[in-house]
Amino acid sequence: MAMESDMVQAEMVEAMEFNDLSNQYGVSGVPHTVVNDGKGNVVGAVPETNLMAEIQRAVTR
Amino acid sequence: MERLLNDNIVSQIREAFGSLSNPVQVLFFGSRENCDYCDDTRQLLEEVVAISDALSLSVYDMDTDADVARHYNVDKAPGIVIAAKEGDQITDLGVRMAGIPSGHEFSSLIQDLILVSGRDSGLNPQTREMLKALTKPVLLQVFVTPT
Repeated sequence: MAMESDMVQAEMVEAMEFNDLSNQYGVSGVPHTVVNDGKGNVVGAVPETNLMAEIQRAVTR
Repeated sequence: MERLLNDNIVSQIREAFGSLSNPVQVLFFGSRENCDYCDDTRQLLEEVVAISDALSLSVYDMDTDADVARHYNVDKAPGIVIAAKEGDQITDLGVRMAGIPSGHEFSSLIQDLILVSGRDSGLNPQTREMLKALTKPVLLQVFVTPT
């Protein structure tokens, strides 16, 4: 998704190494995608349309 | 130093890479303090980029190269940026990793290298349109574990 838009940055975070950050966002299962510092959340590997919908919810919030 | 990738893995990666179509610049950001996995991550990346001529690696330190880290929005070590490269021009696509890409995440690293080299996200047309229409910054952080 980052490849398609200059607005998007995507970071894969190793949850164990960055445990404090995982706890901050309440990550208990993986993959867990946090959008804009917690404005949106997607738990599990979901179809791209679901993630896109969450992104749009997060940016309008 | 003992290699992290054995011959079998290397040949599997070589096969997955096929003929990578465009150059990719991998940027590694390490730190001398509080970084248990920096050395292993750096070695892993060195071994991976050695598999294809299309891949190059540059190594930075979070502290001494703080301006470079800031430029690429890297705030965690080990940090990895997977960028497009045309000649001397490096284009940051906003694709990065924090932490060692081992286990399952090693596949993600290989997959990211292939996608960036192909300059093709593989997403469906509708998603691409919606992404291009975004007018506000979006940060996606995908939390994963190696097992």
